[in-house]
This record gives sequence, C-alpha cells and structure tokens, in this order.
Amino acid sequence: MLLDGKLTEIPRLTAETARFCRQHSLGEEVEFHLNLVLEELFANAIRHGGCEGMRDAASVQLEMLANGVAIEFADRGVPFDPTTAPAPELDAPLETRLVGGLGIHLVRQVVRDLRYERVDGWNRLTMRRPSREGARKGES
Amino acid sequence: MIQLTEETRSGWRVVSVSGRADSEAADALEAALRSAVEANARVAADFATLDYISSAGLRAVLEAARAAQIRGSEFAVCGLSAPVRKVFDMSGLHHVLRIHGELPC
Repeated sequence: MLLDGKLTEIPRLTAETARFCRQHSLGEEVEFHLNLVLEELFANAIRHGGCEGMRDAASVQLEMLANGVAIEFADRGVPFDPTTAPAPELDAPLETRLVGGLGIHLVRQVVRDLRYERVDGWNRLTMRRPSREGARKGES
Repeated sequence: MIQLTEETRSGWRVVSVSGRADSEAADALEAALRSAVEANARVAADFATLDYISSAGLRAVLEAARAAQIRGSEFAVCGLSAPVRKVFDMSGLHHVLRIHGELPC
C-alpha cells in the first residue's frame, strides 16, 4: 500500500495490518509488533526524512513466510540508513534521557535481518518479524 | 484513537488511558499527563485498557515524568498489559519510571 506523508494515514496503515493478521491467523503480539515497526518507520520518515506533506511518500508490503512475516518499507525521504544509526543511551537517568533514536531502537528489537538500500530516490528497508517469539506464547 | 479520563482515587489523581498511544495521539496524551502533574502532587497513569504504545507514546510519558520531577510531584505508571510492558522494557524506560503492576491508590 502507498501512504501520503501525514500522520493521519496511521489508521489506514493499522487497518491494513489488522487485515493481514486476520487473513493469516496471526496473534495479537505479532500484530502489535507489525504496527510498532511500521509506525516507527513511517513517523520517522515524516518527522526526520522530509516526507511531511508528500503524496505517496511511503510504501508498505507484508508477506507471510514460513518463519515469520517479511516486511518491506520504503520512503522517498532523505537518505537514511537505520542499520547504522547509533543506539540510544538506554541507561541514562530521567533528566538527561534522550528519546531520539528510540523508534529505530524498538524496530531493531522486534525484527531480524534488517537491510537497507537506496534505490531510485527511495530508502528501501527489508526485514523479518520472526514467528518464533510469538510461537513461544502460543501464537503462530 | 485514544481516550483519556481522570478521577481521584485515594489521594492519587489517576489518568486512565485507553486505546492507542501512537504518533497521532501522543500530543493529547502528553498534554493530559502534564496538566495532571502540574495540578496534583500524586499522579498515576493507568494503562490497564491501553492496547498499544509506540515510541511517540513513550516520549509523552517521559515528558510527563520530567515535568513531575521538576515540580516535585510523584508520577507513576500502572496497569500495563504484557505487550505494552514489553515496549517499556525494550526502551529502557522501566529504569527511569516508577512502574506498578497495580494502581498505587
């Protein structure tokens, strides 16, 4: 699906993710994680990637694999490689705690095989949300 | 969509947060928590009916905790479901926030 560069597209993204999860009988935890990953990447592209207000700013594809869900997220923002972004300081105290980079940190916690490429003006990310973690809690 | 309701329970101002604390809802969440923290000495964010949180929601909670610290108010987060709790844990925010399994009130 294609998304315009505005946060009001999130409900449409959430609905599409819910539809995908229903179709493949995926549990609530998988759906939560897919929502988390897609929202973080999309919000990042809008807030920091210059996608705000851009028509067809981002593209999302989900595909069922034997070992999880393949996620492809692409955006037309400025070049940004989250695989090389520095990790936030998770142990910093409240007063100095920086929340920048937290979204990408959460994405990295949830997915495996995160790969980045820049193709024809698009940031293209591929990754997999493994099914193993969900399976441990009785989900597929 | 997020729903915010407030009530006083046993000396705590409790802000109950339902629905989704996502990028769209984060500003409303932060405003509600900050105004509660600025007007009350003890504030709890009750997340028992919160279905989802992202880093934008976490940021709103963190800003409220900072505001409480500056003002000298107590601020607690409680009632987290397992998947919401996991996002707090992954973010490291459980180190800096007072998190309760049950309401502190």
